[in-house]
Amino acid sequence: MNILIMLWKNLLRGYQTLLFPAHPRVTPRFRGLVQFDPALCTGCAVCRFRCTSRAIEFKAGKGEFTWSYNPGQCTFCGRCVEGCAEHALKEGHTEHALSQQEAVPPIYTMQGELKKSYTVARRPPAPKPAAPPTPAPTAGEAVPSTAIGGAQ
Amino acid sequence: MTVFSPLVTALARLLIFPGLLFAVPAAWFFLWVERKSVALMQGRVGPPFMQPFWDFVKLLGKSTPPRSGVAGLLMRAWPLIAVSAAAGAVGLLPVLPSSGGFEGDLILLLALLELPSICIIAAGFSSRSIFGEIGSAREAALSVSYNIVFLLAIVSIAASQHTFRLDALASAPFTALHWIGILAILVCLPAKLHINPFSLPNAEQEIYAGPMTEYAGPELAMWELSHGLEWVAGTGLIATLVAPHVTAAWLAACIFVAISFAVVLLLSALAAATARLAIDSSVRFYWQCTLIFAVLAISSVLFVRFRS
Repeated sequence: MNILIMLWKNLLRGYQTLLFPAHPRVTPRFRGLVQFDPALCTGCAVCRFRCTSRAIEFKAGKGEFTWSYNPGQCTFCGRCVEGCAEHALKEGHTEHALSQQEAVPPIYTMQGELKKSYTVARRPPAPKPAAPPTPAPTAGEAVPSTAIGGAQ
Repeated sequence: MTVFSPLVTALARLLIFPGLLFAVPAAWFFLWVERKSVALMQGRVGPPFMQPFWDFVKLLGKSTPPRSGVAGLLMRAWPLIAVSAAAGAVGLLPVLPSSGGFEGDLILLLALLELPSICIIAAGFSSRSIFGEIGSAREAALSVSYNIVFLLAIVSIAASQHTFRLDALASAPFTALHWIGILAILVCLPAKLHINPFSLPNAEQEIYAGPMTEYAGPELAMWELSHGLEWVAGTGLIATLVAPHVTAAWLAACIFVAISFAVVLLLSALAAATARLAIDSSVRFYWQCTLIFAVLAISSVLFVRFRS
């Protein structure tokens, strides 16, 4: 009979499950929407190759490239940010992927609006650092031969 | 007119009330009541009111994987047969007074009530999924167990009234044997509707969805509808046997819906209060515990009949 009493109490008490918070707490290690800085990007497309969920698209053009990011496909794994040598990608720490519909629409309902696309002009390659001057060989030192088999 | 009148009445019963036009929304409503009441009794929120309807619509819009050959054809046919049988069973229920009927319609009702269960067993084996086959085997074992009690209960009620006409049984005076029979049907309903503690055939934590594992899209929608119609038919059978005889059609319909609703709530409370039994415990429950009462009921009916 205890179970029946318990069911009756539950029925009168209403539901005990909690709604998803309107503003979910964001921890320092939280991985949110990927932020892109076009000024730092060199267009190497490593992020596109590291993205397993194909959320990042990269199209190379003449003198420019287009970088797009679709949060609807993103799994927030952070591999693109990890692989970006120029630190052009960062993880957002403010937007939460999930939320109550009343507060902020969840990402999957506004994929189109959140999709970001940047067309960036390619920067000229940075000049190579000048090679340090090599000291001249002194007399008596053997000059290494580059030819196979040595001097003939 | 005299020739067409029974036909028109039969069609109205099958298509309008208590047939498809009433039974399909009632099926969704009862599914919602069951899910919502179990959720509330367990301290959860439960689904919104329109959820079973939207589930059905969503499933209708999905595509199914192509299946060729006889197995594919059978897999498409089983849910349709189940829906037709369950809708026919609901249409046979003598809800309204003087709604027509024929000698032996109780036997047809029992056959139609059993058909969805047979379709589920066949569907599980047709799908060639290991989970489907296990679910079908469980359903078959359970069906053999509860059907003995179920049929004996119905036969004891029918034998006590000397008729196999449903409308005669519905308007029969209440006796102790009548109530024992109704109680036995109530005990069998959880197994027939696959709810706790007899939810073995579709035990989702063990064998996914049992016979329904390989089903998707419109075919799964038809299974859901068939399940809902089984709810209406099962609870409706109790309602017609319990409902007092009234002459006003609207009052009879209201009493039918109210009693069905009460039975749904009762079964939901049972489902919320119990856990799933193993197959051997379920079979033992019906063969050892309830069969005795069913045999007692029918033997006392026969005894009374031979003495009179």
